[in-house]
This record gives sequence, C-alpha cells and structure tokens, in this order.
Amino acid sequence: MAEPPAGSPPLIDGEPGAIAPTEASDDVLRVEHIAKKFGPVTALRDVNLHLRKGEVLGLLGDNGAGKSTLIKIICGFQKQDSGEMFLHGQPYAPKSVDDARAHGIGTVYQDLALIDELSVYHNLFLRRERVHRPLPLLANGQMKREARAALDEIGINIPRIDVAVARLSGGQRQAIAVARTVNSDADIILLDEPLAAMGAKEGAQILDLVARLKEEGRVSMIMILHNYVHVLQACDRVSMIQDGVIALDKPTAETSVEELTDIVVNEYRRAREAAHAAPASAAE
Amino acid sequence: MASATHGPASTGPSAGSEGPAHERRALPTWRQVGERLISLREGSIIVITLIVVIYFSVNTSAFLTSANFETLLPYFAPFAILAAGEVFVMILGEIDLSIGAMYLFGPVLFYKLNTSFGLPLVPAVIVMLLACTVVGAINGFNVAVVGISSLVATLGMLFTFEGIALIISQGTPVATPGGQPPLGTFGKVFGGGTYSELIWALGIIVVLQIVLSFTRWGLYTVAVGSNKLGASEAGVRVNLIYIRNFMLCSMLAGLTGLFEAVRAATIQPDPAGPNELQLLAIAAAVIGGTAMSGGAGTVVGALIGALFLGVLKDGLVIQGVNANYLLFYTGLAVIIAMTANVYVGRVRRGHSASG
Repeated sequence: MAEPPAGSPPLIDGEPGAIAPTEASDDVLRVEHIAKKFGPVTALRDVNLHLRKGEVLGLLGDNGAGKSTLIKIICGFQKQDSGEMFLHGQPYAPKSVDDARAHGIGTVYQDLALIDELSVYHNLFLRRERVHRPLPLLANGQMKREARAALDEIGINIPRIDVAVARLSGGQRQAIAVARTVNSDADIILLDEPLAAMGAKEGAQILDLVARLKEEGRVSMIMILHNYVHVLQACDRVSMIQDGVIALDKPTAETSVEELTDIVVNEYRRAREAAHAAPASAAE
Repeated sequence: MASATHGPASTGPSAGSEGPAHERRALPTWRQVGERLISLREGSIIVITLIVVIYFSVNTSAFLTSANFETLLPYFAPFAILAAGEVFVMILGEIDLSIGAMYLFGPVLFYKLNTSFGLPLVPAVIVMLLACTVVGAINGFNVAVVGISSLVATLGMLFTFEGIALIISQGTPVATPGGQPPLGTFGKVFGGGTYSELIWALGIIVVLQIVLSFTRWGLYTVAVGSNKLGASEAGVRVNLIYIRNFMLCSMLAGLTGLFEAVRAATIQPDPAGPNELQLLAIAAAVIGGTAMSGGAGTVVGALIGALFLGVLKDGLVIQGVNANYLLFYTGLAVIIAMTANVYVGRVRRGHSASG
C-alpha cells in the first residue's frame, strides 16, 4: 500500500480550507472539482475525491456539509453544476440512478428508499425485477427464492420475506437496504449513514457485513458515518468535507478521533467568530 | 417498535406465560378472525355488500329476479370501470376529478368525428380514446412535472373539457351514431347489448388487477404511492408512472362515456350527470379499500364498491324508499370504509402507527 506521503497538505489557490487532491494508481472512481448549488445555497464548492479498488472510504463532515449531495451526484440521482467524474479511468456522467447502477454503482440512501407497502423480496428486487419472459408478469416465486438465497449469503436473518417491510424493525430495514445494493452486483457501493437510528447490536451487524465485503475484495465502498470510532474501525481512509471542500484526506491509521474532532470543532469556532465579527464590522 | 409486536409472529413466550399463549393458539378469538377477514382489503366491503343483498332479497320480492339484475347492471358497471381507472391514480395518493369531463367530452368528440369528419365508427372510437389519453397525459404532466396539486390540475381540466364538450355540441342532444335501433354489432359491443358493459367491466377489472398485482407497472404504482422519494432513489421513473396512470384513468372515462351514450342512444351534453357520476366512482374506489393516502388500493375492490353502490341504489328504488336516503347511505359508506381502511392499515403494519 504505497500511499502518498501525508504531511501538512498545501492549500489550493482560491478555495480556502481545501487540501490538494490525492490519487492512486488503482483508483476505481475519481471525482474532480465537483460543485453544486441549490438556489442560493452552495452545497459543494470544489470537491476532489478518489476511491481505490477494494477500499472503504469514510466520508465525514458536519451536518449540511454536503456529504449526501456528493453521494447523490455520484449515484446519478442529482447532477453537478460543474466538475467531472471518472470511473475506472473513463469519463463518467450518469444520466440516472439506473444508468449509475448499470455502471456498477449502487447506493444505500440515508432514508433507505424502501417501499413500506411492498414485501421484502419486492424491495430487494426493486428496479431489477425478474419477469416471466416473454410475458411481462412478475416471477414472484423466483424472486422469493433468490431473495432468500441472497439474504442467507450475506448473513442477514429475516424470518419472513413476504411481509411488507413496514413490519420490520429499524435494523432489519437497514439490513435489507444494504442487501439490496450488495445483491445488485455493484462493485462500488455508496452508503449514506448506514448506522443511523440503529441499536449497537444492529450497527455491529452492518459493520460486520461491511468488513466481510471488504475481505472478499470485490467491492469498493464510500461510507458516510458520524461516529468517529466506527470510522476508525471500518474505514481504510477518511475524507472530510467542510464548507464545500475536502479539508482532510488521510489513511485512518494516521489519524485519530481527537484529530477528527479537533478539525470539526475548530471549524465551528472559526465560523462562530466570523459570525460575531461580521455584525461588528458592519456597525463600524 | 418493541411493544408493536404482539402478533403471532412474536418470539416464543417465556415459561411463565405459557397458559394464555397456548389458549390463544388453540382457539383464535373472534377478534383475530375478524382482523384476518378485514385485513383482506376488500374483505369488509364484501361482507357488507352480501348483507345488503340479503336484506333486500328478504324484504322485497322483486330484488332477486333476472329482470332486476338487468336493471342493476347500468347502476354499477360504468362506476366499476371509472373507479378502476381512478384506483390507479388514487394509489399514487392523487385524485382525478376530470373523469366526468372525459365521460362527457368523449361521446361528443366521437359524434363529431363520425358525422363531421366522416370517420367510420371504430376509427372514431380509437381517435376519441387517443384524445382522452392525451388529456390524461397532460394531467399527469401537470401534476408530476409542473407540480400542480392533482385536485387543482384535474379540476381545471374538468371545467375546460366540459366546456369544450358544450361548445362543440352547442349544448344540443344528438342521436348516438351506431346506437340507434336496430343495434348493429358496433352498438351491441360498445354498451348497447344487455351485458356489454358488464363484460367490459369484468374484463377491464381482471386485466387491471393483474397489471396492478403482477407487473412492474403495478409494482411501481404502489412504490410511487407509498414512497415517492424512495422509489425515485431506487430508479423508478416517477413522472412516467404518474403520466401513464392519469392516461389510463382518462381513457377509461372516455370509453365509459361512449358505452353510456350508446346504451342511452343519445349524447346528452349536460355536465350535471357526469359530475355526480365521477364523484360516485371515486366513492366506489374508496369503499372498495383504496385510500388516497397512497400505496394502497385494489381494482377488484373498486368493482365491489361499485356493486355495493349499485345494489344500494337499486334496492332502495325497489323498496320505494325516498331517494334522498341514497346519498345519505353512500356518504355513510364512504366514511365507514375510510375508517375501516385506517384500521386495516394498522393491522397490516402490526399495530404500529408508524413504520
């Protein structure tokens, strides 16, 4: 693992707080100079990110930093205002979620994107339904069998797969959302807060699943997490978004909970001082 | 969530509470039987419709006769078709208030195409249905893409196209082409034959229930209605589903209008009838278990809801009851059905109020 030497990274001109982008020869995904505005609100100013093969990248940042926006751009749900992406070295501009999925990028959304009224197996196969060709009728039996097999393989225990997902617990729902993406033959998986609203035991199961996938080495993952202990436990490397740019990019082995916390707290203090200073200077 | 699972699926009780648990397993309580029946979405309305049928059969000798069955048909077949289309929109959590306009506009356009433009009967029907479908597409576009509330968008369409129907027809009733005696094949097939509308209604119900339950279109309809954002995140093209379902709804309304115009042999350009008809069709869908809360509904339920309203109307007419009671009972049925729906939803979700 030849990482670029980590030191105090130089500033990019024009984008305060941003560090120089890193890259590696085995990158599967590269994100370059991505910017995105929602009306007057700037979510991302200039984001550079890369993901190496088989790597688990932790994407950090405070609430509203633009993490979910970045994930939604990569997975084809939203389009960036400017900037480019490269998948396996080729330019990558997904037209839709389906298009991104066809490129092997699967996503577990923060809100899980599960359909409460539909059964477990229909949720697992949503947008990838099996049908009785040439008839357009759903092959429910086949989907049930494949769903059961897929859940067993991943090691998720759902007693009944023909009940509506509304009846499942938060952890089970999360597990199904993850299983759906893993089962979709994605080789890049984006997980937006996979541990949100989960108990300790359920969270551990998801982290175990991530670890198993990593061991298999088939998939690369970008994972948004809030708990820095989980980050250090599950991720190979962390990238932190702050104020719309990447403010930190380090292997987890070279950082600590303290450092990550300090960056966020310092940013908060700086922003607060700026906010205090602004009205004062306006009064003068 | 923990307190939400005292159903049979909950994990085995500890040794201390074995007694009551065994009793429950051996003898399901009436409550459980009842819950199971009404968790079938159409369950409660099937039972109620049967009760109403039995009540009228016992109380009026004229009810259970073949002659009365023929009287009953036009009371429910058109509602069933209109309601079936409305179900596809209501599962999305939306409503189409323009089906009355399509019901009125369809036959008027059909007449114009046939008499003024010289189109033969069947091509005139096809062009008319296409026109109604386009109106539906505009409804779907306005709701899904432009973002107008479906109630407002389709209300605007209701007045617009009832207006267009009045302008084209100059408000004058005309004889329906192909609907004059002696009826030819066209007239018999498109609403004139005694069982024509019934056969169409049953055929449409069967096909649409299959579409809803066993095809991607149906699955995505439920998905969009249940969780619009989630469905789009999963890659479902929400706008397409919206537009498609509104198209279906409008087309079926135009077709129903044609059936009724052929059956009555005249095209009556008066919006009052269609306006009432469309509200009753929506009532039929609601009574049949389709909640506008989204994600839930059945086409078969719409048929049974329409049958219920038909039986009620027919029975009350035979009994010679003051016709004012009809609206009163229909209103009660809608409210009771909706209340039952909310309850059924909770039962299906395992007593939990939220997901």
